[in-house]
Amino acid sequence: MTLSVRALSFSFGETQVLKNINLEVQPGEFFGIMGPNGSGKTTLLRCITRYLPIEDGMIAVGGRPLEDFSAEAIARTFAVVPQNSATDFPFRVFDIVMMGRIPHAGSRLSGETKDDVEIVRQALERTDALRFSSRVFSELSGGEKQRVIIARAIAQKPKVLLLDEPTVYLDISGQIETMDLIKKLNREEGITVVAVLHDVNLAARYCDRIALLSGGTLEASGAPSDVLTPETIRSVYGIDVLVRKDPMTEAVFVMPRPAAPSIRRHGTRAHVISGGGTGGRLMKFLHDQGFSVSTGVVNVLDDDYVIANDLHIPVVAEIPFSQISDDAHAENVRLIGESALVIVSSFPVGPGNFKNLEAARAALSLGKRVFIVRSKNTPGIDFVGGKADEMVSGLIASGAAVVADVSDLLPLLTDRRG
Amino acid sequence: MRDLSRPTGSESEAFDAHRMKTRRLLVVGVLLGILVLTAFVAILVGTLGPIGPGVPVRISFSEALRAIFGSSGYHWVFWNIRLPRVLLAGLVGAALACSGTAMQAVFRNSMADPFVIGISSGGAVGASVAGLLGLSATMGMLAQPMFAFMAAAMAAFGVYLLGSVRGKVYPESLLLSGVAVAAFLGAIVSFLIYFARQEYHQLIFWLLGSLTLANWEVVEILAVPVIAGTLFIFLYGRDLDALLLGEETAHNLGANPEFLKKAMLFVGAMLAASAVAFTGVIGFVGLIIPHISRLVVGSNHRILVPAATLSGAIFLIGADTLARTVVAPTELPVGIITALCGGPFFLYLLRKNSMGRER
Repeated sequence: MTLSVRALSFSFGETQVLKNINLEVQPGEFFGIMGPNGSGKTTLLRCITRYLPIEDGMIAVGGRPLEDFSAEAIARTFAVVPQNSATDFPFRVFDIVMMGRIPHAGSRLSGETKDDVEIVRQALERTDALRFSSRVFSELSGGEKQRVIIARAIAQKPKVLLLDEPTVYLDISGQIETMDLIKKLNREEGITVVAVLHDVNLAARYCDRIALLSGGTLEASGAPSDVLTPETIRSVYGIDVLVRKDPMTEAVFVMPRPAAPSIRRHGTRAHVISGGGTGGRLMKFLHDQGFSVSTGVVNVLDDDYVIANDLHIPVVAEIPFSQISDDAHAENVRLIGESALVIVSSFPVGPGNFKNLEAARAALSLGKRVFIVRSKNTPGIDFVGGKADEMVSGLIASGAAVVADVSDLLPLLTDRRG
Repeated sequence: MRDLSRPTGSESEAFDAHRMKTRRLLVVGVLLGILVLTAFVAILVGTLGPIGPGVPVRISFSEALRAIFGSSGYHWVFWNIRLPRVLLAGLVGAALACSGTAMQAVFRNSMADPFVIGISSGGAVGASVAGLLGLSATMGMLAQPMFAFMAAAMAAFGVYLLGSVRGKVYPESLLLSGVAVAAFLGAIVSFLIYFARQEYHQLIFWLLGSLTLANWEVVEILAVPVIAGTLFIFLYGRDLDALLLGEETAHNLGANPEFLKKAMLFVGAMLAASAVAFTGVIGFVGLIIPHISRLVVGSNHRILVPAATLSGAIFLIGADTLARTVVAPTELPVGIITALCGGPFFLYLLRKNSMGRER
């Protein structure tokens, strides 16, 4: 059954919390609702369960507006898993899950039926909570409690499972355990899931589609990779992030980028020779110190290439998995010529990028100050039969300085910068 | 150490609907048995009977049995004084315990009971007004319970209004305003009694909670509202379960929390007023009994409500028997006995709750 929200607005007194929300959740979908604190996520969920009265707009399930549903029918349509369920009263796990059968009770006189007991047993089995079904609910761990509450939601036999930040009080194993369980129910039972999620990466990993709320309006909705872009996250959350793809699941994931300290850009040019992901920290460090950084030659898709792009610095790039061409090398040397400093990271050297060491030699012969970042315990990075080590020794002999760590560079750089 | 991963006996029991029902019936059966036994002993104990300290008129056990079931000269004493008194104690105890169970669910607080939140005091104001105006003489025996109920309902409604903000009721503020209302109404009752000098001593007795006014007429008047109210609360047992997990959860499980809270306050007030009307304020029964019952049978109201109701009856019959005998040949107001048990128990709960919060 399709869940549709049309032109929904809601206010608490004078404060408008939701403004003209339009959503359509398809049957069997795993739908995420995201947004900063106070953006109206929980209010939206409460409007859907009719816990809050809808003022403006309409919510319908399978084409039927919610107003036509009885309280019990609502509870047979939606089951809710809240952030946490605390009670000081001694309920057994079994009793808690049995509460899911309340909307299905025929009359007040009849107690729990055989069917009810069987449905509760199955629900506990599916959430792997059967083994503690006789324990007192309040004595369980956070993850166990959430499994019991999900079992209760299953026992409700709902069409749509609504979750309000179900993992917010859980540790990382509890988070994954809970989300995996919900995903399993979604895939295997075809239960439609609508989940308010705080964690961007959990949302990206589990949701088919995401709606992003900001200040009560719907900012964006669609597939995680379409919604979770650095631009939308910047506009909604006001922070800079890097967006990557998990190489194993292809799910996007988002990393907050540490804000660059506000520094004076002195414009001293520094060129980084790197590759194989060895130059990222170097580039970020120099960038944050106010240098105008450039880098080369790296292959497209190399981590160093991606980071250079994220930092918006000039990069000499070669197509993936190819040798550095003469053109690229010449361009690299040209950038070196424009720089005051050249820093060489401890990148692995193979036949494909040997020219980068030649570029470093060219830097020395152009009279540039050259630094080689190489700690004592760096493993062998020579894949050209000793030629690279020989070359590096030659560079050091010709005046290149060696530092053990990126952070050791700063005093050397500032010394003579003036 | 028990292997938790393997189903245990009690667990397989949880998944057998038939055995689950049998277990509940067993609990109710055992409590009914204890109730009958306690009542029987209570009937035998007193200034006239085979057992009890300092009994002025000691008769043999068989003589007492003949007096109860036959037509000996003492039949009238047992049948028209002892039995209604025991039945009244049972009804009042049941009403208070059941009302307390419902209040604790509404307030989601194991320290709520009709006495603590002021409903009993409200009933006492109504009953004492009716008593002082001599309304029973002009309007019949029903005047006192009717006035008690109206005042108790008003107290419940007042506490509810004071404890709610924009239509939403918050348990903590409800409990606090209940305590304040209880103190205020208690002062009104004391004020009224102070002005009724001629009946001072009798009213003091009533104010402390006592079952001395017991007779068949009182028992008949109270039986209907107490049984009806208890049954109502029992039928909403599953909804009360859900309410204990919070109003939003109750709503999401198809219960109607707003209706439930109002209905339970109304019925709880009716039960408390029934208890207060002829016996005065007997405190703490609604606090102790649900709490202990919950420790034994759990929080599931389908079993908790009957268990607490029966235990309340047993407890008050026992307490009253004690009140009748402990300073024989005179007697103590039973409210003193319940307060002596209840006060420390309340403090114990308070300590336990605040320690739990620190953890």
